[in-house]
Formats: sequence, C-alpha cells, structure tokens
Amino acid sequence: MAENAEIMEALRDHLAQKLKELDGVIGLRRAVEGTAPYLFRPGDDLSQLALEPRYPLGPIVSLLQRRYPQAHFGVVARGCDLRALAEMAKRNQVDPQRLYVFGVACTAEEAEECHCADPFPRLEKWPQGKTFGQPAPAGSPHPLLAEYPKIPLEERRAFWQKQFAKCIKCYGCRNICPECFCESCALEDPLWVEPGVLAPPFPSFHLIRAMHMATRCVLCRQCELTCPAHIPLTVLYELIRQDVKEMLGYEPGADLEAAPPLPLTLADAVIRE
Amino acid sequence: MAEEFEPKIVAFLCNWCSYAGADNAGVARLESPPNILPIRVMCSGRVSPEMIIRAFRAGADGVLVLGCHIGDCHYISGNHRTAKRIPLLRKLLAYFGINPERLRLDWVSSAESTKFAKVTKEFVETIRALGPIEREIKG
Repeated sequence: MAENAEIMEALRDHLAQKLKELDGVIGLRRAVEGTAPYLFRPGDDLSQLALEPRYPLGPIVSLLQRRYPQAHFGVVARGCDLRALAEMAKRNQVDPQRLYVFGVACTAEEAEECHCADPFPRLEKWPQGKTFGQPAPAGSPHPLLAEYPKIPLEERRAFWQKQFAKCIKCYGCRNICPECFCESCALEDPLWVEPGVLAPPFPSFHLIRAMHMATRCVLCRQCELTCPAHIPLTVLYELIRQDVKEMLGYEPGADLEAAPPLPLTLADAVIRE
Repeated sequence: MAEEFEPKIVAFLCNWCSYAGADNAGVARLESPPNILPIRVMCSGRVSPEMIIRAFRAGADGVLVLGCHIGDCHYISGNHRTAKRIPLLRKLLAYFGINPERLRLDWVSSAESTKFAKVTKEFVETIRALGPIEREIKG
C-alpha cells in the first residue's frame, strides 16, 4: 500500500526540524537490504523513512532509553504503537517525559485491513508530540466477534483445538509483542508449558498467554501478523479485552494516566459483573 | 458396566481463613465430600492462572479457590487481586470452550465451617453434572 505522500512530506519536514534538538528519532528505514527499525540522526537521509511494514517500535524505544538514560528520543508511532507505548510506560518500560511522538494517522484502508477500532494516535495526555493526518473511520470488527457469544462451548473448543494444533511454538507471538517484556516468561517455565511437546497441549500455552494479555493487549495485531501458522490470536485477546472493559472499566492503551486494574485494590478498581 | 463418575476437585485454600474453615469443618464433624484435594496457599492471591490451568490438565474436574472475605485478607488486599483475576479466567475458559462452572471462587472465613461444607458439596454436585474434564481438554 502506498504511503500518503502529503503526510510523509510533513512528517519528514518536522522530523528534520526536531532532529536539531532531539538525540535521535526511532523509525523504520527502507534501504536496499530491507526495511528495519533505525535511529535517525541529524544528517541521515530522511527519504528512507518508511511506515511500512508495520513493526512495533516500543521495545526499541525501551531498549534505547535504558541504554542512554539521559537521552531524549523521538519515535514515529501509529495509533497502535502509541497505545502500546502507553501500556509500556505504565509498567516502567518507557519514559514519556523523554520521548517526542511523531503520531501518524492510518488510512481508512489500513484501518479496515487491521479491523482497527481507533486508527489514530491520541496524543492528548502525552507530554510532547505532534500528529500527522486526520483520524480515519474505524475498521469493521473481526467477523468472529459478533457471533462468538452464540457459538456453543463444544464448537469453540473444536475451533481452537484445530487452530492451536498448528502452533509450532516459535514464540513469535510473544517475541513481537510490545507488552511482553518480562525477564522470566511463564511460557518458558516447564511447570506450566512442558518443553519438547509440539503442538503445546491444549489448554496451556495459549490460555496462559491470553490471560497475561487480558489487561495489556492494545490490539496492534502484530502477534497475528507474525504467526507462521496464521492462528487468529487477536480474536481471543479482543474478546477478553471487551470483558476487561465491561468488568473493570479499563481499556489498555487508551489512556496514559489510567492505572492497570489487576494490581489495584477493589476500592480503586471496582468489578462489575 | 460403566463406573460411576466421582469428580476430582482441587481446592486452593488460603492459610488464614479457608484452610482453618476446612479444619474447623472437620473438628465440628460436618459432613463434607471426600472429593476435595486441598492445597494450602498463603493467600488466595497466590493462586496464579497457571496453577489453575495446570490443575485442570493434571486431571482435576473442578478447581475451587477459597479465600478470606474481602476486607479480612491477612495481607490487606491479596484477595482483591483474586476477585478480579478469577472472573477473567472464567471468561477465558469459556472462550476456549471449557465450561467456566468448573472454576469457582468463594470466600470462606475460619469461622464458616458450615459454609465450607456447603460450598464443597454444591461444587461437587455441579462438577458431577458436568462430567469428567477429559471431555473438555482432550481432542
């Protein structure tokens, strides 16, 4: 899909301007060897700045901020990237005070492709940043979501058992996920997921991961895009995300200031069932 | 002839309230079902979703999590986390096609030996009606 030339031009101009004061801007660079995350520095060829393919830059921001504790970086972020950064900030993975956000709106086609409910970076509560482009309408929700409540338990089980039987346990879903940053991962603990068994027995690996995603998943859909077995993981994460919204009034990534509800007391996070 | 199904239940009991409640049920000679395998944990907040999933996979037909009443937690707010976590896990079990009735959370204080007997009896009957877990986690 072609990048919007007008947005790209405005973005490059502003980026060139801001590079004079920032220590660098994290974005994607399209070069002959391929497209990859890159720290743009003054003097770099900004025509190589790219927005596609989508790739989560949050973990790279985290890595660089940790490595350079005084540095003030910028990052090019779509709506989903910004939601991911918000959840990471709440869990002390990135520091919003040392981050300038170049927010890029997604196009309506991109929103539709991703079934995205909010394809625009909401910068209102972020300390510094600027958005480029106008909010596009939300994409249509995944077709499975509406019919899911009507599907009987046996059919759900049959569906997911078939899906998970394809899993090659490559850990791609976890590795790409901007919200998966634990130093020791339950999915690697032989107590919970026995090593050497393929596909991971139902219902271990994916149920544990879905539970961990419940108050974190920002629906960037990177896990699904990465999955070599094409397992529709985000259907599960979106279902549980809806429950978290109804029961705990929390939407991961939507509000930089809202605290994640699970560690809170019931006085601070009321349950509605 | 098919053998009659006896449910196997794993019960995570908090050290300060529910385990003592179970103990007192025994002291008071209240009748409670023999299907319960109690596991004593320091707090119901200690019971991670992984532990519950593992219990199911190890053959538990039902998992019972019992803790102190809200406000009585020995660690002030340990059970507040349980109160949010277990309902979410129940939702996820249902999305995976596993009957969420197989996981139950309740609050039993050390003085509530009769409640312990009642909850365990009810739960065993619920699980008896649902049948063995193998039906739901093996392909």
